Amino acid sequence: MSTMTDNFVPRRKKRITGRSIAILAFLAMCAAFFCIPLYVVIVTSFKTMDQIRLGEIFSLPVTWTLEPWREAWSEACSGIKCEGVSAGFFASLKILFPSLILSLSVSSVTGYALALWNVRWAGTFMFILFMCAFVPFQIIMIPMIILTGKIGVYGTIWGVAVVHAVLALPILTLIFRNFYKDIPGEIMQAAIMDSGSFWRIYREIILPMSANIFIVVLILQITSIWNDFLIGITFGGLNNKPMTVILANTVISATGESSYNVDMAAALLTAIPPLLIYFVLGKFFVQGITAGAIKG
Amino acid sequence: MPTIAFEHIYKDYGSLRVLADLNLSVDDGEFLVLLGPSGCGKTTLLNMLAGLQDVTAGTIRIGEEDITELDPKDRGLAMVFQSYALYPTKSVRGNLKFGLAAQKLDRAEIDRRVQWAAELLQITPLMDRKPAHLSGGQRQRVAIGRALVKNVDVFLFDEPLSNLDAKLRTEMRLEIKTLHEQTKSTIVYVTHDQIEAMTMATRIAVMDGGVIQQFGTPDEVYETPANLFVAGFIGAPAMNILDATITSSGPQASATLSDGTKIDLSHYEFTANPNEGQAVKVGLRPEHFDTSGKGGVVSLTLPVASRERTGSDATIFLKFGDDLIAVRAEPAEARDVMVGDNFAVSFPAGKLNLFDAQTGQRM
Amino acid sequence: MAIRWSRWSPQIALAPAVIVTAVAFIGSIGWTIYISFTGSRRFPDYAIDPERWSRQYERLAKDRAWGISLDNLIVFGIGSLLAIVFGFILAAMIEREKRGEDVFRTIFLYPLAISLIVTGIVWRWMFNPSLGVENFLHQLGWESASFDWLSSAETAMYGIILASLWQSSGFFMALMLSGLKSINSEIWSAARLDGVGVFRLYIEIIIPMMKFTFLTCAILLSLGVVKAYDIIVAMTNGGPGQSTWMPALFTINAYSAKSNIAYASAAAVMMLVITLAIFLPLLLLFIWQQKRRKAAVA
Repeated sequence: MSTMTDNFVPRRKKRITGRSIAILAFLAMCAAFFCIPLYVVIVTSFKTMDQIRLGEIFSLPVTWTLEPWREAWSEACSGIKCEGVSAGFFASLKILFPSLILSLSVSSVTGYALALWNVRWAGTFMFILFMCAFVPFQIIMIPMIILTGKIGVYGTIWGVAVVHAVLALPILTLIFRNFYKDIPGEIMQAAIMDSGSFWRIYREIILPMSANIFIVVLILQITSIWNDFLIGITFGGLNNKPMTVILANTVISATGESSYNVDMAAALLTAIPPLLIYFVLGKFFVQGITAGAIKG
Repeated sequence: MPTIAFEHIYKDYGSLRVLADLNLSVDDGEFLVLLGPSGCGKTTLLNMLAGLQDVTAGTIRIGEEDITELDPKDRGLAMVFQSYALYPTKSVRGNLKFGLAAQKLDRAEIDRRVQWAAELLQITPLMDRKPAHLSGGQRQRVAIGRALVKNVDVFLFDEPLSNLDAKLRTEMRLEIKTLHEQTKSTIVYVTHDQIEAMTMATRIAVMDGGVIQQFGTPDEVYETPANLFVAGFIGAPAMNILDATITSSGPQASATLSDGTKIDLSHYEFTANPNEGQAVKVGLRPEHFDTSGKGGVVSLTLPVASRERTGSDATIFLKFGDDLIAVRAEPAEARDVMVGDNFAVSFPAGKLNLFDAQTGQRM
Repeated sequence: MAIRWSRWSPQIALAPAVIVTAVAFIGSIGWTIYISFTGSRRFPDYAIDPERWSRQYERLAKDRAWGISLDNLIVFGIGSLLAIVFGFILAAMIEREKRGEDVFRTIFLYPLAISLIVTGIVWRWMFNPSLGVENFLHQLGWESASFDWLSSAETAMYGIILASLWQSSGFFMALMLSGLKSINSEIWSAARLDGVGVFRLYIEIIIPMMKFTFLTCAILLSLGVVKAYDIIVAMTNGGPGQSTWMPALFTINAYSAKSNIAYASAAAVMMLVITLAIFLPLLLLFIWQQKRRKAAVA
C-alpha cells in the first residue's frame, strides 16, 4: 500500500491557456452586445421620465418606479383607446388556444398518416407542403381576407386563429412527419396486425409516444403566434388586436411626447411570456426552431 | 383446419423481381422454418402472409379461404417480430391487451386470456412494467405472449431470437418448441440460423435468391441436400465439396478425384444416370469420416494442415491439393496428430453426396 | 371480400390538410396571380383586358417606391449574410471552448424568442438621437460619434440590419452548432495529432464538411429577407421618406393604404418570383449535393 502511494506523483493540473482566455473574452463581449438592449429596456422601464430626459440611457434608475408598468398595462393609449396592453394580452391568449388546438391536431394526424400509412400520393403531397411552407404570406393574404370574410370569421378571434393554423400547417406537418417516420417499422406492423384501426393506433400507440415532439411544436407555435404582428393586424379587425399590434400602435403611432418608460414597460410586457418559455424550456425551444428550420 | 398455401406468388419491387412463381404449402400443425441467407426473400414471403406487404401476383390461402387481399388483422394470424416491437408506452398488460384490439371480446375473456398467457410464459410478476424495464429475454416472452393471447391457429416468427445472447437463445428455442407442441398450432418461422431450423422445424424450406431450394424435414435437408447450395449452407463445419469425374457408369459406377483417388459409387442411389467423363462434385460431411482410415468407398492419406478444438469436438484440416478437407475427430485424437503428419481417413458408403458440377443439382 | 377500411382511413384523415393546401395555398396563389392581371381596385374585378393585362407590372416597374424596395432588399440581404458569418464564428468558438456553452448559447439565442415588433421598438429607443446611445457617447466625450442612424435615409437601412443581426445571429449559431456537433470527434483528434493549424483545419476540413448547414442557413436567410416586414414597421415604418421600404411593406401598403387589390397582387407575385428565384437554385444545389453524397457513400 505504502509503495503505491510512494510512487504517486501528481501531475500539475493543466492551466487555462491563453487561447481559451481570448475566446472567452470574445464570447463575453458578444454576450454583452446581446444583453445590452435588454438591460437598457429594463432600466428604462423603471425610470421616471425626468431621469430619462437627462439622456443617460445606461444608468440605473435613481428612483425605481413601477408607475410605467402600471400605465403600460392598463392606461397607455393605442389609437383612441386608452386601456393599456392588457387588452392585447387577453386577445393574444384567446387567439392562442383555438389556434394551437387546430394546428396541432390537424398537423399531427396528417404527419402520422403521411409517415406511417401507405398513401400512394404521400410523396407528391409532401413536396407541395414543402413548397407551401416557403411561400411569402403576401401571396395568399388577399384571398384569405376574402375567404375569411365569406365564412364570417374575418375580424374575429377565430379569423386570426384559423389563419395562424392554416399558415403553420405545412411546416408543422413536416415536423410531425419527420418525427413519426423514425418510429420503428415493426411497431407499426405489430399495431396493424393487432388492431388495424387508423384512429385506434394513433390514440393508443402513437399519441403516447409523441409527448416530446408535442412540447417542441407547442413551444414553436406559442412563440410564433404570440410574436406575430402581420396576421393579427390584417385579420384581427378593430376589436381583436393581439398584444404586438396594440404595442406597435401604442409606441409607434403615439402623438405628442413619448413616454419612453411606458413604451419600454409595454414592450417588456409583450416579450415576457415567450421569454419565460424560452428560459424555462430552452432545450425544447432550440429543438423546435432547428426542427422547423432544417426539416422545413 | 388451416393449410397454408402459397400459389404462384410473384413479388416485384419496382422493376426488381424478388420472387417468381413460388409455390409452397404447409399442413396444419407444422413448424415450418424459412431458412436462408439475408436477402433471399424469406422475410418478404412472411410479410406477404401477414398482409404487411402486397403480393404482386398469385394467391395465398389459409384453409380454403383466399386471404391475399385481406387486412392483416382479419387473417387470423399472430406475429412475433425480430425487434419484439413492443409498444413502449404501454405496460406488459397493455401490450397483451392491445393484441386483442381487433377482436371484439368482453372484458372477462380478455382478462382470462391475458392471465393464461402470462402464466404460460411466466411473466405474471412483470405485468405492470414498461418494456424499457424488461430484459431481452423478458421482452421476447412478452412479444410471444402478445401473439398467444390472440388464440389463433397460425403464428409467424420473424427471426425472434437474433437479438438474444447464445445462452438465452438456446432456452427460448426449447420454449418455443414446447409451446408449439402444447398449442398444436401452425408456425411459420423465419431465420438465417440453421441450428434454430434444425432443432425446431418439422419442415424446412431452404431459400436462396427468391427460390425455394429444398423443402423437406430437417433430416432430409441435412442428409440428402437437393443441390450444392443446400449442401453448403447447412452444416457446420460445412460439407467438404470436391471436384471429381465419373469414370464408369452402370452398376459398378465410380468416380475419380482430381488427385486420382478412386471413389466407389456402386452403393450410391443415383437420381439421375451419370455419363462417363461427366464433371461432378462430391460432398463429404466432416463428421462422417472414419478416422481409423479403413474400408469405406474412398480412402485418403493426407498431410495435416491445422487442428481446431471446438469444445466437445475437434476438427482436423487436411491438405488436399489447394483445398482443405475438414474432418471431425475426437479431441484426444486431434491432440495427438501434428501439423505435417500424414493422416488416413476413409468415408463410409451411403453418406456420400453427389452433385452435377454444371447444374449443381443432386445426382 | 371485406372492405379494406385501413386503405381509406388515412386518406380521410388527410382530407383536411389536403383541402387547406388546395384552397388556402394553391387556390389562393392562383387567385392572386390571376387578379394581378386585372384592373381590380378595392374589390376583385375578374375581367382581364387583353390589351392591358400587364399594366400592374408595368406600373410596378415605373414605381420609384418599388425600385427602392428592391434596392433595399439587396442591401438587406447582403447585410444579413453577416448573421451567418457571425453565427458561425460564435458557434465555432463555443464548440471549441466548451466552458460556458449553455450560458453563451442561452444569451445568444434569447432575442429569437422576442417579437420583432419588440426588437424594433427596443432598437428604435437605442437609436434615439437625443436620449439614446449617441447621446451617451457624446456625454463620454466622443463628440463626433453618430448613432442616429434611423433618422437619415442613407443610414436607416443599416440600423435595421444591425437590429436584425442582433435578433437572428443566435439562430444561425444554433444551426451551426448542431452542424459542428455532428462532425465526427475523431477528426479533431486526428488534426491535433497531425499538428494541423486551427485556421487551416476550419478552412480546409470543417467548413467544407458543413456545406449542408451553410446551404440550409442560406435558404432560410433568403426566405427571411424577402419576408422582412415587422421590424421595419417597428423601427422606421418605411421612413425617412420611403428610404427603408421593402417588398413586403410595399405589398401590404398597396393593399391597405392604396386599396388596390390588383396592384398589391402584382407586387405579391413579384415577391413569390423573387423567393423562387433565390430559393429554387439553392434547393437544387442542396438536392444535387445530397445525391452526390449518397453516390459517394454507395
